[in-house]
Amino acid sequence: MYVMGVESSCDETSVAIVKDGKTVLANVVLSQIDIHKEYGGVVPEIASREHVKGISLVFDQSIKKAGIQYKDIDLVAVTEGPGLIGSLLVGVAAAKVVAMNYDIPIIGIHHIAGHIYANNIEHDLVFPCLALVVSGGHTELILMDKHYQFKKIGETVDDAVGEAYDKVARVLDLPYPGGPMVDKLAQQGKDLYHFPRPLFDSKDYQFSFSGLKSHVINLHHNLSQRHEVFELADFCASFQEAVTDVLVKKTKAAAKEYQVKQIIVAGGVAANKGLRGKISREITDIPVCFPSLGYCTDNAAMIAVAGFFKYKTGNKADDYTINGNSRLEL
Amino acid sequence: MLKSSKILVIDTATDYVFLSLLIDGIEVGYTYQNDVRNHAVTVMPKLDELLKKAQIALKEITEVIVGIGPGSYTGVRIGVTIAKMIGYLNNVPVKTVSTLALLASSSSAAKIMARIDARRGNAFTACYSQENGIMKATISDILVNVEQFDQTHEIPDEIVIIGKPDMEKILRSKLTVFVKNIHELVPNYLQVTEAERNKGKI
Ligand SMILES: [Zn+2]
Repeated sequence: MYVMGVESSCDETSVAIVKDGKTVLANVVLSQIDIHKEYGGVVPEIASREHVKGISLVFDQSIKKAGIQYKDIDLVAVTEGPGLIGSLLVGVAAAKVVAMNYDIPIIGIHHIAGHIYANNIEHDLVFPCLALVVSGGHTELILMDKHYQFKKIGETVDDAVGEAYDKVARVLDLPYPGGPMVDKLAQQGKDLYHFPRPLFDSKDYQFSFSGLKSHVINLHHNLSQRHEVFELADFCASFQEAVTDVLVKKTKAAAKEYQVKQIIVAGGVAANKGLRGKISREITDIPVCFPSLGYCTDNAAMIAVAGFFKYKTGNKADDYTINGNSRLEL
Repeated sequence: MLKSSKILVIDTATDYVFLSLLIDGIEVGYTYQNDVRNHAVTVMPKLDELLKKAQIALKEITEVIVGIGPGSYTGVRIGVTIAKMIGYLNNVPVKTVSTLALLASSSSAAKIMARIDARRGNAFTACYSQENGIMKATISDILVNVEQFDQTHEIPDEIVIIGKPDMEKILRSKLTVFVKNIHELVPNYLQVTEAERNKGKI
């Protein structure tokens, strides 16, 4: 079964073709990162404009790369939310045209389901499975008892992890996108500052990163005011240690409580080396999977994989009224 | 027998969804429906309905004409994306037309001004003249302060802010523009984004 995935929820225009929820025949990603860089973050109206500009060419490159024809496609899977509404609508409109033109069923996919299913490309999901979803917009622990069934057991009460990384990076004057830079510098620094680990001892699976972020920003401000010499790398390392300590502790506890057979890490922050290293070191009794780096960030292959499983588990296809939804719930 | 021309027209840059189907120059069906801020949901089902009624498959469309704005940014993107994809997938010609020209075509006055609200006293504006059913642009799409513009310009016979486009009239005019490279088709926003404007000021 050939599934075409379409993803445009933020600043990446992507179209992919995946066979049987596993084999990626094409995964073309047009990134706008260089455009938004100048603004220090994604500008929604610019993102929407760029999606319209690039959309048909991304489809074309993808179908050519896959070496199949549109009429061979069995299902179109498109991200319907959450995300930037103007961006989502471009992908949704384009996907609907493909569906109508070739009379192919279309199915709307939750962006996070996509991130989770990115893991199925190189691994096989084993249930019960615990997903730690970490990205610029999400920090969630999701339990899956079987395919395409998601139960949220914890989430952030304020900032998402990726968001905290980006804000800290901005204060430290690191180039956009700051998250990966913080991770890189953290590899060279030491945890000198022992920042607080928010909600570390709470008995639930909630997260909070806003306070930690403020703490880092304040200390940086104070040290700078006093003209004290400090290493950015130590700042990054201290911040990263605090964040990953909390993430790993809660993931480990949840995995134990729900007796899962597999832990998967999903979302852009799944590319973080500090997190990958710590989770692999500290959780050794349950297999832990990460998507390879290209499938951590937003891409349409993951949407196609999720589409395959959503359809296969008996979920009905959508019709042409399918809409973008910036606040879609999983 | 000559293959007949089947033109699909799409404009979603205003509060109205406008779709029209012309076979050999005759409008055989259309949709002109107010559905403020819900174009994303409405357009494709309406298009499906229009095509089914005429018993034409989307693939059989031989040309697409799309309103490229100015107007609602989100709205115009939906129509342009749809037109772009149809043109690309079926390798058929796509032509653009100003949404203001489509509006103006609904009037039979000799001197027409078309207007789309752009908030804070501003409006996207264009002026047209018509003689013997042939429409010509006299002032092309601009963003103006309404009060200032009206003080300094001749008052037209009619100001059009709403109206079902007359596609047969548009086809007779020279107001459509052929898109050479479909992948380069984008809306005519007439304005850079606020972020770009602010960056310029710094
Ligand atoms: Zn994402």
